Amino acid sequence: MVMHRLPEADAGMIDPIPADTASFELHRLRKQFPGVVAVNDVDLTVRCGELHGIIGRNGAGKSVLVSLIAGLIRPSAGDIQIGRTRVDGRSYTPARAHDLGVSLIPQEPKFAPLLSVTDNIFMGRPAATRLGLLQLAPMTRSVKHIIDMLDVAARPGDAMGDLPIEAQQLLAFGKAFYVEQAKVILLDEITASLSRQRKQMLLDLLREMLRQRPDVSVTLISHHIAEIMEFCDRVTVMRDGRAVETITAAETTERELANYIVGDEKIVSVPPPSRGTGERRAPVLRVAGLGDGTGVRDLSFDVAPGEVVGLAGLDGSGKEEALEMLCGLRTPTTGEIRLNGKAVRPRSPGDAIQLGIAYLPKNRERQAVIQNQSVEVNTLISAYRQFADRLGLLRLREARSSAEARTEALAVKTPSVATPVDYLSGGNKQKVMINRIAMTKPAVFVLNEPTRGVDIASKPVLLTTVRTELSVDSGVVLTSESEEELIDVCDRILVFFRGDVVARLERGDPSFTVQTIYKVMQGVESP
Amino acid sequence: MSTQLGRLLLLIVERHLIWALLAVLVAIGLSVPGFLSVRNVINVLWSAAPLGCMVLGMFFILLTAELDLSLESTFAVAPTVAIVLMLDWLNGSLWAGLTIPITLALGLLIGFFNGTFAVRLGVNAFLVTLATLLTLRGIVIFLIPEGVYYLPPEIVFLGGSRVFDLIPVAVIVWLALYAFAWVLINRHRLGKSIYALGNNAEAAYIAGIDIARSKVAVFTLAGMFAAVGGLLEVGRLSSVTADMGQGDILMVFAGAILGGTSLSGGVGRVGGIFAAVLVIAIIENLMNLYGVAPSIRQIVFGLILLGAIYLASLQGRLRLRPEAR
Repeated sequence: MVMHRLPEADAGMIDPIPADTASFELHRLRKQFPGVVAVNDVDLTVRCGELHGIIGRNGAGKSVLVSLIAGLIRPSAGDIQIGRTRVDGRSYTPARAHDLGVSLIPQEPKFAPLLSVTDNIFMGRPAATRLGLLQLAPMTRSVKHIIDMLDVAARPGDAMGDLPIEAQQLLAFGKAFYVEQAKVILLDEITASLSRQRKQMLLDLLREMLRQRPDVSVTLISHHIAEIMEFCDRVTVMRDGRAVETITAAETTERELANYIVGDEKIVSVPPPSRGTGERRAPVLRVAGLGDGTGVRDLSFDVAPGEVVGLAGLDGSGKEEALEMLCGLRTPTTGEIRLNGKAVRPRSPGDAIQLGIAYLPKNRERQAVIQNQSVEVNTLISAYRQFADRLGLLRLREARSSAEARTEALAVKTPSVATPVDYLSGGNKQKVMINRIAMTKPAVFVLNEPTRGVDIASKPVLLTTVRTELSVDSGVVLTSESEEELIDVCDRILVFFRGDVVARLERGDPSFTVQTIYKVMQGVESP
Repeated sequence: MSTQLGRLLLLIVERHLIWALLAVLVAIGLSVPGFLSVRNVINVLWSAAPLGCMVLGMFFILLTAELDLSLESTFAVAPTVAIVLMLDWLNGSLWAGLTIPITLALGLLIGFFNGTFAVRLGVNAFLVTLATLLTLRGIVIFLIPEGVYYLPPEIVFLGGSRVFDLIPVAVIVWLALYAFAWVLINRHRLGKSIYALGNNAEAAYIAGIDIARSKVAVFTLAGMFAAVGGLLEVGRLSSVTADMGQGDILMVFAGAILGGTSLSGGVGRVGGIFAAVLVIAIIENLMNLYGVAPSIRQIVFGLILLGAIYLASLQGRLRLRPEAR
């Protein structure tokens, strides 16, 4: 591959940089949200010309850290230094970060989907003559060059929204590097959606770019160990908001890195299952050979009443697709679902509720909360059928008192059930959503990350509810971002890796640990 | 004390601004002799009834974040077809009173067609109902280019007669329709589904609501409401004309929005649009009483409406909310 040089990307103008110059430095950087320290006194130096990795589990603080560097949120304490400029945290904004040469490429780049690739890449700073006429030909040439360099399947005139997300990410990266001349490039999970071959290509390209412009640094955020090991010179491990270790990639192993990431402390927050070791009841849900042709293959498991089954795996491992097939949001192409011995095929979530499968979606605000409506309506919306006569008229008093009973049972903090749900905190909203699905009295609860976006104080309450209330007469299938939570509430954990269940861990097994789950879902270790 | 007053004022502004507006208009009316006379009040209500029925239909549809431009054509075509069927095609061989159920059935049918086309086939409701707006009006012009006058009493009964020689049946029908709507909205499953899907369609779907069915039901109801309005208008004027209701759809939107219904769905109350319909009727009535010259009436009406809509729009902005999500 021959390097063509853009006029804007002329490396010849830059003075040679001594090898150890810092590209950016963080000193005791801290970000506190109500009730949680997301970034806890982080010291970090990334050098010019370096490919630096930041790794850690969900919630470890990676995203908050890069958001701080890019000025998207303001630090509670500590210093940020970009190049030789010390930044005042109180007045740091995305615009200032941009001027200093910081560019964050998010997982889903914010482009205008209907505009062309060229318009998007030159948005805000088009090449123009003194009269304001656009220099279309040079812009198109530059974009072609970027497309060639990154080997993206796109043309300058294509609408950005028509391109796959990985192409958009690569183009966002191209824009940052070539057009904006960014010096501190932060890549959030850019490698997650790329194929092996393209990863290798991107890696070669990054190396070549850094060789040409040694004043630039690239920081890669990921929770895939293998990638970080492959791409980076040095890796910083984050855990619970702290930067626990910075290691040279060549001097460590995947296993060692995994140990740093997981740590060894375990937070006991939920009472362990109090069920005796009595005989197992007949399964309420049986899944056999279930697959959707893309995300999940040949999934089989069963759940008895009183059991909690956890699905673990990275994003895209198939656990989410599995849940969606159970609740009617995705159509299986193979296999069958048996509910109390009867084969069922939920065609929609409404259908699934009728059959006895209740689903708690992952994105609460978008997929569950009905805004502008009361706690009562939000609690009852799936269950109004129970309070309706033949004409559909509702017995409102009865409905309200059962909503009140549920609200009290889960200790939802709200002045009354008539309060609009919008006024509640994330944790309390989630309790309302749990109440909503519990109202339908399902045979199986399907919970997609029930503790997502919930404050620390509410998490154990929710998990205890799952354990002690939901699973009394029903089966529960759930996922969580946190392996600790799975260990806390589950009787059995299925670990997904690239569409297959690669491990089944039973409570009581010696391998029923956070560490095993984490390593298996990373593909680092086979059980 | 002052904080209590302030809170009361805020409550009025937040939820009941349209009633405050109505009170202001009535206060202005008090200065005009004859405004509060029984005859005038009844006339105001009577003239508000037909429009009120269409506004109610639009209100339901807007709650689901759809719209229906063809209501004003349904308003005309449902009674027209029923009357032509009874008087011409069947030559009066059946009891004329059957016109009323036939009109309602036609309204339901038209609404069901609009809803099915827009929702089940996934075509933009604006375009679907624009086409039916034109087509249905065309049918009216084709059937009764010169209009039909001197209708039998069974047909004009709903819109033209009075109970105890005082209260128009039209006003009773109108109030009964709003009461029916209030029950549907507040005490029926459909109402809960409508607000849920209007506020967050994806969440409503996952919560088990059949979105397409609820929307089609709403279009169907709205067609029937418009047909009832048409019957009232036919009775009030004792005739059907080809241009009946033509151009009213904009006033229907004005009424719905003035009454606090959101164009993006999920927000609005039956009481609000009821007051808004009264506001529109009173503005017209006041212009009559003040003797505003016909040549500038539309200008005056437009300006008053602009002011009223601005005031009503404050409602959304002054809402008591903790903070943006």
